[in-house]
Amino acid sequence: MLIVSGPAAGRDHIGLDHPERPGRIAAVMAGVDDLHLGTDLRIVAPVAADVAQMTRVHDPRYLEELEAFCQAGGGSLDPDTYATPDSWSAARLAAGAGLTAVDALRELGGGVAFVAARPPGHHALRDRAMGFCLLNNVAITAAALAASGERVLVIDWDVHHGNGTQAMFWDDPNVLYVSTHQWPLFPGSGVAGEIGGAGGLGRTVNIPLPAKATGDVVRRAIEEVALPVIDDFDPTWVLVSAGFDGHRDDPLADLALSSGDFADLARLVAGFAPGPGRLVLFLEGGYDLEALRMSVATTLGALLGGMYQPEDPTYGGPGTELVDQAREARIVAHRQALDLAFSQGRVQWP
Amino acid sequence: MAMIRTIAVGFDGSPDAEPAVRWAIDLAKQIAGEVAVVHAIGLLEHAAQPGMVAQLEETVRGLSQERGIESARVHWHPVDGDPCSALMRAASAPIAADLIVVGSRGQGAHSGLLLGSTSLELAEHTAIPLVIVPMGGTDPG
Repeated sequence: MLIVSGPAAGRDHIGLDHPERPGRIAAVMAGVDDLHLGTDLRIVAPVAADVAQMTRVHDPRYLEELEAFCQAGGGSLDPDTYATPDSWSAARLAAGAGLTAVDALRELGGGVAFVAARPPGHHALRDRAMGFCLLNNVAITAAALAASGERVLVIDWDVHHGNGTQAMFWDDPNVLYVSTHQWPLFPGSGVAGEIGGAGGLGRTVNIPLPAKATGDVVRRAIEEVALPVIDDFDPTWVLVSAGFDGHRDDPLADLALSSGDFADLARLVAGFAPGPGRLVLFLEGGYDLEALRMSVATTLGALLGGMYQPEDPTYGGPGTELVDQAREARIVAHRQALDLAFSQGRVQWP
Repeated sequence: MAMIRTIAVGFDGSPDAEPAVRWAIDLAKQIAGEVAVVHAIGLLEHAAQPGMVAQLEETVRGLSQERGIESARVHWHPVDGDPCSALMRAASAPIAADLIVVGSRGQGAHSGLLLGSTSLELAEHTAIPLVIVPMGGTDPG
């Protein structure tokens, strides 16, 4: 197990009384310690992303302004999102951590990596910070892999829709974005009919779920709606936006998952990787520190083939009918997009 | 030029945002139009302030009474999202706004930089005509 993290992940970027706080990294590392991995554990410090790596998904002017904003003392970027004088360096380290993980896995020739860095990334847009996120960490890694010819699956099980990641790869046929999330909820996007733009039609899969949905519903969503698309896509790398704010104790949302459910989800998504050394998980949300600690431990334990499970998986919550509706909505949206393409002459019958 | 019938105005609940709502209502009165007041529900508000939306709706109702417009012409739209995205999305659908109105300073304001300013970010991104009302407010004429 490879953990990419470092002191700056916990030390810098501190918002007073903000749920996205340094203690989250301490909770993650406590979860890692709970597994007593011994020599199976390798911790690597992240290398900061450079401008060329970041501008694959971010506007250069936004990067310049964000750096200037932090150097000017930082402040509120919106009612949710803050930056401090240290946030620019912290964000660049978080942005580069996934690339560090990929390099390390390639060097090792196998294994699984978990990126324990902050601030999180999946809400960050091409030219705008939002939802606690400054730079889109998973997207920067996905774009680098896609640029080298890889087919990248991004699975996002954070309780919030990863609007930034979706937008960045909306028209990209080489990145498949799959999200399960509570809806309605921030950021408001992620309905099932959002399936990708003309260049990446079908390469976005959204499965919105109601409050109180349980782990069995999330698993069913991935198995029944996303799995056929993933099989068809045949990814060469799998990146996971691993938010743990779907846990029932999380203060920011209302799903009803336990830490045991994240073990099941981890086993499920690990099966999508084409082989060893092709799976990287990125910390996104998760704001109840004890739930975060347990959920990270069960996730990583499952990936190592263990059965560390302080909480049982959950069953019986609402949302199974929405899984069926998501499947139907994708079909309808696909048909509408093709009809539009035919009517505009962009596509012709063979 | 298209006739203005529906005005979408952003309202984050801060006192700085009230002049924009007043301005939008006053304009709607003059043109016999309608106002859609959009409030973005962020990550923190969902968690920490569950009664906030109802409080703000009451504030908007009070502003409508203060400006003397029929309550049926002022519509309340709480929307999940960050202020910029939520306002742009709602203004497009379901509101179908002809004009967007925001205050020059909201909760995210920061010393003149584009970042942290909802009004400047909207100016950069929206395709709908935008009016930015100064903090002190002004008469729509």
